[in-house]
Amino acid sequence: MVGKNKPAMVEFHTVKRIDNSRLVRHVEPLKMRNLYKTAGLGAVVAICCMLYIYQHFRCIDLSFQLEELRVRQQQSLGLNGALKLEIATLRDPQRIDLLARHQLGLTEPTAEQVREYSAFDGSEVAAVRYVRPNRAP
Amino acid sequence: MQQDKVHVRLLILAGVALFWMTAVFGRVAYLQLFRHGEYLARASRQQRRIIEITPKRGAIYDRNMQPLAMSVPVQSAFAVPSELKDTAMAARLLSGVLAIPQDVLRQKLDGGGTFVWIQRKLPPEKAEAVKSLNLKGVYFQEENQRYYPKRDLAAHVLGFVDVDEKGLGGVEHQYDDVIRGRGEKIVVMADARQRWFDGGEAQRDRGASVVLTLDEKVQYIAERELAAAIEKTHAPAGTVIVQDPNTGAILALANWPKFNPNAASDAPAEARMNRAISAIYEPGSTFKLVTLAAAFDQNLTRPDEVFDCENGSLVVGGRRIHDHKAYGLLTVSEILANSSDVGAMKIALRLGAPKFYDYIRGFGFGSPTGVDLPGESRGLLERLQHWVPSSIGAISMGQEVGVTPLQMATAVSSVANGGLLYKPHTVQQIMRGEQILPLNGPSSPAEPRRVIRPETAATLRHLMEGVILHGTGKAARLDGWTAGGKTGTAQKIDPATGRYSRTNVIASFTGFAPINNPAITILVSIDSPECWPHEGGDVAAPVFKRIAEQVLAYLDVPRDVPVSPRLVQTAYHQGAGAESDSLDDLAPVDFNAQTDFTGAGSKESPAKIPEPALPEVTVAVDEGGDISVPDFTGKTMREVTEACLRLGLNPVLVGSRLASLQSPAAGSKVRRGSKVTVQFGGTPAHAGNVR
Repeated sequence: MVGKNKPAMVEFHTVKRIDNSRLVRHVEPLKMRNLYKTAGLGAVVAICCMLYIYQHFRCIDLSFQLEELRVRQQQSLGLNGALKLEIATLRDPQRIDLLARHQLGLTEPTAEQVREYSAFDGSEVAAVRYVRPNRAP
Repeated sequence: MQQDKVHVRLLILAGVALFWMTAVFGRVAYLQLFRHGEYLARASRQQRRIIEITPKRGAIYDRNMQPLAMSVPVQSAFAVPSELKDTAMAARLLSGVLAIPQDVLRQKLDGGGTFVWIQRKLPPEKAEAVKSLNLKGVYFQEENQRYYPKRDLAAHVLGFVDVDEKGLGGVEHQYDDVIRGRGEKIVVMADARQRWFDGGEAQRDRGASVVLTLDEKVQYIAERELAAAIEKTHAPAGTVIVQDPNTGAILALANWPKFNPNAASDAPAEARMNRAISAIYEPGSTFKLVTLAAAFDQNLTRPDEVFDCENGSLVVGGRRIHDHKAYGLLTVSEILANSSDVGAMKIALRLGAPKFYDYIRGFGFGSPTGVDLPGESRGLLERLQHWVPSSIGAISMGQEVGVTPLQMATAVSSVANGGLLYKPHTVQQIMRGEQILPLNGPSSPAEPRRVIRPETAATLRHLMEGVILHGTGKAARLDGWTAGGKTGTAQKIDPATGRYSRTNVIASFTGFAPINNPAITILVSIDSPECWPHEGGDVAAPVFKRIAEQVLAYLDVPRDVPVSPRLVQTAYHQGAGAESDSLDDLAPVDFNAQTDFTGAGSKESPAKIPEPALPEVTVAVDEGGDISVPDFTGKTMREVTEACLRLGLNPVLVGSRLASLQSPAAGSKVRRGSKVTVQFGGTPAHAGNVR
């Protein structure tokens, strides 16, 4: 809209110094307190939520671990039972009898070979029994 | 203008967002409010697993807490056919692992449904093999498998269980309620990978353990000797009972034929029959004990009274009864020692039928003993009103009356203990963990009942000793202990003629030892021995002797008869390889394959317990000393003790300081275990033993 016959506009560069240092933001204590309260409440809620979520997943994780431990416990109990069973099998009188007769060549003692002791069995006991009184003052 | 465009775009975006949120919330509301139940059920099906915890049966122990039956966990494989995509492939893979025909598996898997057992109670290696196939839709359930680690030992007392662990015989059946425990179902959660979590702790009732009165060593001795007797006599059946006469507790109960409870279904019903409590037989001459007990108790006769045995023939109630031998005048003690039928009949006739009947009933014949085992027979005893005139004669010598071996053993125990009839029992204790449960029902303790006076019992014990010392039971004489007993040879009815057979008999011996303070009562009954002679004194009495000598020594019963010195046979060591094959059969855990290597139930090969081959070299040596006593002079107590222990001598040390005297003297030959008294320092106070 500017015509050709009009003189060119002279532009001046001016520096305007504005000093805002004297401006002071007006702070309303009540609003700030509310802000802090809200922020604090939000943080607490967030922390509670995070805690709840953490607990929830931790609980699931621990359930897995517990279940694994239960399985291991059952396996150990099973192994224990199997070992007890094996011990019982190895103690089978018939097995021991056959081992004694055929591997060790043992035979049944005759009546004369079976000795009865009137007191404690074993010569060690006899030795101790006689040594102790002799040492007494 | 520009601002208007921006506002329009924002409005569109807000509208889309609102629509999206409305749609989402609408869908959520729809699912939550209208289809809540359906989706909850679907989630539950996907996430929840109901696990059935099978009850674990309690163990069964002998009196020394040696396990005779116990359960261990095993895996059972099952399938959910609807989850199997390719049943043909699954059947092919499983067939290769489990050795089950492919067609059978295919039929199971194609049957549809939500559950089908593939195979129950898999051995661990097979379970692992199936797991390694990693088939979708194939799962495992933990169950318990009953094992009898001693195989056929005490099988008739223990009984057996079915595949569902339900007791079907013996103590397993009698105490099924307490042994079995209760199962429980628990709910666990599973994630997408079918890992379990959040499973509750199952409060499973494991079932109580039962402690028997049996002693597995005594039981083994009884079974081994019975098997040896069966092999020797070629008899089809037999029974041995070892009882504590002072409590009624059964220490051993052995039957032949026997079975392996680990594979009970493979055994014939005859082998599973507990003959000791359910087989009725005519006791024969062992019943004369009841006749004499009644007569003595009524003061109707004395041991030294003489009866005329009519040269072996007597007519009672119009029926002539012949004795097995023609006896003339016999005292009452000789009547029992020689087992005179005529003598027993005359004593019974003096007693009279009513009193005789009362004593028979008093000893427990004709009614169950109340033993805590299933299937007990009451025996056969006609009521007094139904007795014919000849019945008193027949019954006095053990005919026309049917008893079970346990009834007979219990009656003889009452004589042994001084006249008290105890209820026989096999269960000593029931325990749940460390807690001892009270015994109820059939296992409840009962007060003993007096059936004869103590004086009567003492008289009978003396007479029964006479049977062994100079009567028909000489073969039952023990080496080291006194014993009393009575032989019996009961003729069986011949089905062809309907009369008593002369060849088919039940040979028995019932006795106790020692005489003055009986520790055991033993009954041996051998059914139809196919040997000659086949009398109880020849067939059953030696078995009594074998069992009694071993059991008394095992129970540390003091000897009351000196053992006469004699030569001792010493067998040298035999090569170990000869019987290694038979020992291989006793591998510790191959239970399913253990169908009783002793050949239980096989009539053709009755007792296959490998007998020790005779040693190639047998040397007879005098048992009198073979150890030379060293010279202990100047040695310390420690040195003397060590030297004696090394040589197997029993040192008796007297005094202090260094050894000065010894007895026996150095160089003397003594037996192993002999006492060697050594004096240290000065002269001992009791120098009599030391020279």
